[in-house]
Amino acid sequence: MFGVMLYGQWKWSRLIIVLATVAGFALPIISVQGAAQSELSPLRVEELLDAVQKWGVLYPVLAAALGLLVAITTWAPDHRGRHVHALSLPLPRWRYVLLRFSSGAVLLAAPALAVLAGSLLATGTATIPPGLQGYPVALALRFALAVVVAYAVFFAVSAGTARTAGVILGLIGGVILVQIIANVANLNLDLFDRLQILVLNWPGPLAIFTGRWMLIDV
Amino acid sequence: MCRSRWLLLLVLVVGGGQLRGQELERSPSGTPSVGSGEGLARLRARADSLAHEWRRANAFADLVDSLERARVIAAKDTIRVGALTIITNPSPLPLREAAARAWPIIDNFYGSEARSLAGRPYIIVAVDPDTTVERPAPRSGIAVLWDVDVASLTFLLLTSVPIAQPDATLRNWLGGGSVRPSLGPERERASVFVQLVTAPSQATRDCFLGDTGSCRDALDIGDSPDVVLRWYRSPEQRRAVVTRSLGGYLDRGPQQQPLQSCAAGSDSSCIELLQSIPRSAVQPLAGGARETLVNLALRLGGREAYHRLIASPDAPVSTRLAAAAGMSIDSLAARWRSEILGSRPTPVSLPPRGPWIALGWVAFFTACGLRSSRWRVS
Repeated sequence: MFGVMLYGQWKWSRLIIVLATVAGFALPIISVQGAAQSELSPLRVEELLDAVQKWGVLYPVLAAALGLLVAITTWAPDHRGRHVHALSLPLPRWRYVLLRFSSGAVLLAAPALAVLAGSLLATGTATIPPGLQGYPVALALRFALAVVVAYAVFFAVSAGTARTAGVILGLIGGVILVQIIANVANLNLDLFDRLQILVLNWPGPLAIFTGRWMLIDV
Repeated sequence: MCRSRWLLLLVLVVGGGQLRGQELERSPSGTPSVGSGEGLARLRARADSLAHEWRRANAFADLVDSLERARVIAAKDTIRVGALTIITNPSPLPLREAAARAWPIIDNFYGSEARSLAGRPYIIVAVDPDTTVERPAPRSGIAVLWDVDVASLTFLLLTSVPIAQPDATLRNWLGGGSVRPSLGPERERASVFVQLVTAPSQATRDCFLGDTGSCRDALDIGDSPDVVLRWYRSPEQRRAVVTRSLGGYLDRGPQQQPLQSCAAGSDSSCIELLQSIPRSAVQPLAGGARETLVNLALRLGGREAYHRLIASPDAPVSTRLAAAAGMSIDSLAARWRSEILGSRPTPVSLPPRGPWIALGWVAFFTACGLRSSRWRVS
């Protein structure tokens, strides 16, 4: 059963997976382009870290986009077929959902491994100035976790009903409304900041995406 | 205090009908006439008069300050822990506890010099945090909300130790700072490690690689007169420093032309610019790096180290540091380097529990997906 699902998932999302794998492999290599020279001037350190930091912004973007697109393609055929195929299978729903989730997650391993391979290649070939170190495994691990978190979030959203979406939107609307009322009443209440801290700082769900994504650092 | 001096001076000058020297002789164009010897003598007399009034204003301002100090001291509590003396108004502020925590650190750091604190009290004005009444800022002392906790108060006491300022040479070398106990030594050393690795200077690079002489240069304790050229040894480094770090500052007035020449590749223009600006503006390591060196010297030198550091203000900083540490400056620099290298910061990646937290969120959202009721609704 899992093999069939995996095959189906591959058919639906292979373009996304292949493109993300290529991007994931290329990104670390491109980010250390300037470091391939043998010159070890102190000026190079600043430039190298600058380049690595600028390119590093793309890792969480790639992870989020990949998680989103694969989660959408995981559920899209079911939604289109109004879940008739799933209901016709001799499986409880929770098992079906787990199989769906697992098949998507397995495919996500390819881009994560590509990031690892690209990072290892990039740090292996670049001339890293003294004092700096490459962190290929840590970066690839972080990328893998970020992809899976993004995938899980969007998978849950896609699996939800219109009512669930309504509840989520209602909650967001409620927060906005409370904030507006607080502002009008001149109350010292900043819900957006608090929410941002809750969501984007550890142990928030999206904390994995924030911070610096450095392939090479001190 | 400076403000009150200026105010007093202004009052004296404006209301000073008795200041005969203010009767300026004007030329037809309205400017003072200085052409004759008599005019010059008159102007000199007026300058002397102004200087006299300035001294009077200073004296008045000092009087106001001392009265204010006396007023604050008069009706206040005095807390003594060791030589630490705190004068404050009655409040729930946990000053005694904070002082008990701060004193051992201060005593350990300044050694015998810490005794001088008995005559140099902290003046702390505890302020009610709940009041909405705006009170005038105290002229002397530090205003502190009285709901501040012990840790924050200890931090405050350690960052504002009222010990006598060191001499100008040492202060300037430190980048305007003073010699204070380190509040986060590991964090400060980690910050210096980053500077040592990333500063666009050959001296810092060579120091990192193990050349003690370069460490002396990087810390600006060498005796070389052309230290700026030792910091930035190649024309590329000099151009980079001038155009990238100082470009905004130099891009005006008479320095604009040499800046353009430097950017175009003229090394002599770059050198001219580097030597024309204060050395502190182009030091490859920030003042914090030198503070870590002073802290190390004081730690190694024992209780009398601070006393030895400030004992001979005319000696070069390197000699004073060596005396404070009780070892040669080369040994001190080597020790400093090894401490900095041992404080490599942990890379900004994931916190130790980060992966588990992320997996926890994955499990949570998957469970949310499992509980979805789309099939039942459909």
